[in-house]
Amino acid sequence: MKRRRFLQALAAAPATPALLAQQAVPDAAAEPAPLDFSGPDEGADPVLRFFSTRQFATLRRLCDLLVPGAQSSPGALEARVPEFMDFLIGDSAVDRQQLWLSGLDALESQSQTIFKKAFTDTDAAQADTLFAPLHQPWTYEPPADPIARLLAAAKQDVRTATANSFERSPAASGGTRRRGGGGLYWLPVE
Amino acid sequence: MAAPNYDVLIIGSGASGGMAAYTLTKKGIKCLMLDAGPPVDFQNNQVPKPAWQLPYHGLGKPGSLAHVFQANEYNAHQWVDEQQVPYTHDPGEPFNWVRVRYVGGKSLFWSRMAFRLSDYEFKNKDHDGFGDNWPISLADLAPYYDQVEPIFRVRGRKDGLKQLPDGNFVDDPSPWSPSVQKFMAEASKRNIPVIKLRSALGRGQLASSVNLLLPDALATGNLTIVPNAVVRDITVDKNTGRVNGANFLDRQSRREMHAKAKVVVVGASCLESTRILLNSGIANSSGVLGHYLHDQFYITQSVQAVMPEVRNKTAPPNYAAGYGYIPRFRNLQTKEKDFLRGYAFDFQAGGTPDAKFFPLYGKALDEALDAHRGTGFTGTCMGEVLPRFENHVRINKDVTDAWGIPVLHVQARYGSNEFNMAKDAINTMSELCRACGWEVLARHDQPFPPGYSIHEVGTCRMGDNPKTSVLNKWNQSWDIKNLFVVDGSSFVNAGSQNPTMTILSLSMRASEYLADQMRKGEI
Repeated sequence: MKRRRFLQALAAAPATPALLAQQAVPDAAAEPAPLDFSGPDEGADPVLRFFSTRQFATLRRLCDLLVPGAQSSPGALEARVPEFMDFLIGDSAVDRQQLWLSGLDALESQSQTIFKKAFTDTDAAQADTLFAPLHQPWTYEPPADPIARLLAAAKQDVRTATANSFERSPAASGGTRRRGGGGLYWLPVE
Repeated sequence: MAAPNYDVLIIGSGASGGMAAYTLTKKGIKCLMLDAGPPVDFQNNQVPKPAWQLPYHGLGKPGSLAHVFQANEYNAHQWVDEQQVPYTHDPGEPFNWVRVRYVGGKSLFWSRMAFRLSDYEFKNKDHDGFGDNWPISLADLAPYYDQVEPIFRVRGRKDGLKQLPDGNFVDDPSPWSPSVQKFMAEASKRNIPVIKLRSALGRGQLASSVNLLLPDALATGNLTIVPNAVVRDITVDKNTGRVNGANFLDRQSRREMHAKAKVVVVGASCLESTRILLNSGIANSSGVLGHYLHDQFYITQSVQAVMPEVRNKTAPPNYAAGYGYIPRFRNLQTKEKDFLRGYAFDFQAGGTPDAKFFPLYGKALDEALDAHRGTGFTGTCMGEVLPRFENHVRINKDVTDAWGIPVLHVQARYGSNEFNMAKDAINTMSELCRACGWEVLARHDQPFPPGYSIHEVGTCRMGDNPKTSVLNKWNQSWDIKNLFVVDGSSFVNAGSQNPTMTILSLSMRASEYLADQMRKGEI
């Protein structure tokens, strides 16, 4: 799409006679059109490197339950949030990594203990049982239980990552879907 | 060509340094201003960006600015890089030192809340016996508040409250929304005042030294500003014992320079000013320099309530809207059992509560958020912190910043007075919300770590006694008469009011005194 816009811009520019192009006189029409760049999420797939295969499968199910897709807005899976979380948590401090690793493992273990099946295979009602901590009122101090800690953190991070994703941006949807997050960015000063 | 010998060297260009330049240059005094940061084009240094174009999609670079809870991926470059200018604290006693290094300092980004202190603060010891009085009273500072408020165009109403003196305001004619009127009625039953916020309108996008103070100072032709000048120490003439300038390093090249002046005015922000003095080994015959660090404890979103009457857009437009302020009301005419002093709140009606406050997820959460759009009521608690000698900063010679300058070690903690006060504050706000028929979704009474409010003051305090204070009542060093410190480090106590108007007024007052002394040849 970007490339198409770029070519359209070129095609729309008036043709410049070769003779004039050799002159040193500045010609606004001959100035190159502003280049239109893309972010990595538009043109490539992330490489997973942090969570194990099992943990990542648990994470995908978790993300899907926390922020399911709807017609008006892509969900966490469509927004590739599990892949983004693999990067973000992999780049984080050990205590945050541990929260996610132990939480995902505990979620899987709890599912096996209660339902004798992987978390990825639970139905919505079974998953809701495991999500009991999310039905408790919010507390300032994070909960001690590893599943409760994971769910509290994931609820915030997965929602934010989904809302801020390229897939929820007007650029991805042609302006027809819910607007993604944005703001004024303070540039670094030399 | 040798550099000129200026009349006054001003270190820092924020509220206090800017006001010193504004005041002194208008009296014909030649000033050199050094600031550790670069100049910045405030308007053009911000660009709109969708979150997905940021490297961490708006969730922030992990581990960056660990002490700056206000930081996010959008504003990360506003704050001082903690790796470049580190500081230390004991692991169990975090201190959130939130710093800005640009010309204009924190005045570029402050919240603009603009209050006066009262004699409940200036004469606090007379009122309840704790701590020390300031060497000045409201009557001494009021003429300067009167001048500062019009410069910053402080909007407010005259409320006639002794604990929050009225000022020279741009009138605020805005009406109260029905939901806030309901809240005010419940507060009134409990003798709790509710007033309009008092905030600096400034001019254009800013209420900063860079647009309200420095342009006028430069227009006099008496001000030279050198940005990117990281001051290491203040120098002393060995023959006279007077200060005669400062050593600094160019921020980018690290080239060492020395600036000369007859007088030095320090306004580098509370803890940076004290760090410079401590690294200089001056102005501390009292042994008090670095001590009595305090601020205001803050609890944002201390109570999060929703107004059921607004749910599903059932209320009229503008029913739930607006901001307000609860000034201190505890320990004025009565005496609390569990704590001294008092707290304030600012509150907002009409926002949408954050998703974390709803015990739901998935589609049910989205539906709840839609139903509760605009139903929120929340308040930030701002409590007075008792100044204590043991809360202090000192130089940590084992750690240096990117320019080789020793850093500060901060040792500060809140005590039972602050924790008891916080409990009372949150109980009171919760009770008020429930009395309005509103549902309290969440509440918490644990203050953020010291420093979070960005209102750190003290460590170079004023006083009447050179044995127990660093500065006299004119912000002048007891030890070195041509050295002045004009920022928040000079505070004796801070109350629960935001400090900027007081910092500006103290700086103007000190600068007028300095100019007068220079004119008389006393300095």
